[in-house]
Amino acid sequence: MKALPTLEGGLRIDAEDASDWELLRAIIIDATACPTDLASRLGGLISEEAGASDWEEYVVPDLREEFQDQLAQISAAVEAASFHAQNGPGPIWITREDAAAWYSSLNQARLAMEEHFHFGASETIQVEGMTPERQAAFIRSKFYCAIQSLLLEFVMK
Amino acid sequence: MADTDTLTRTAEETSLDVPWNVVVHDDPVNLMQYVTYVLMKVFGYSEKKAKILMMQVHQQSRSIVWTGEREKAEFYVQQLQAHQLKTSMEKAR
Repeated sequence: MKALPTLEGGLRIDAEDASDWELLRAIIIDATACPTDLASRLGGLISEEAGASDWEEYVVPDLREEFQDQLAQISAAVEAASFHAQNGPGPIWITREDAAAWYSSLNQARLAMEEHFHFGASETIQVEGMTPERQAAFIRSKFYCAIQSLLLEFVMK
Repeated sequence: MADTDTLTRTAEETSLDVPWNVVVHDDPVNLMQYVTYVLMKVFGYSEKKAKILMMQVHQQSRSIVWTGEREKAEFYVQQLQAHQLKTSMEKAR
């Protein structure tokens, strides 16, 4: 998999084979794997004094819908690009307009993985000794982070 | 039976609203550059101010990024949570 900035101010990701498309599909799987969704986890930060019950009733559903819409957008983009490439070598384009939804989806995936695996700050992580599942999740998380960094540097600036 | 009159007395009392703090908490996922970007986007802060607040989040685990009336604080917390930053609000002491 290669990712490069485009002259139009977007990002181009080149999938090389079916496993690369699976990795891109994993964004959605990882983002939705946590039993408590992100909107609820964020809502849990609001104290009773600050109006936790109203927040749960009025704000959390809106956040949930927004996060789900962003994931649906990215899922559709990956499926369309994969279909076009016949699940083989081919590009997927991230335009400036799509960048926020991509960043959000990658972030949702990383936040959910952190909730499950508790990787902590990246500089303190030892890959050796991890279970295969944890190691694979860590590598996916690093990949998502790399795409986020490219989006911040070249597309969302 | 004597006629009775009802006398109604009203008293008005006003007090200043307690200001609320919008607090961003540290987490190991959100990138420092992204936190800076969001603070600039949501509050219109300069890059310099946003970076100072971001560093407070990173080094002190939390930063009060805005203080003011409750309704606006709620709006900002919602905006920051929509950008997936761990955000809460508290009464300013």
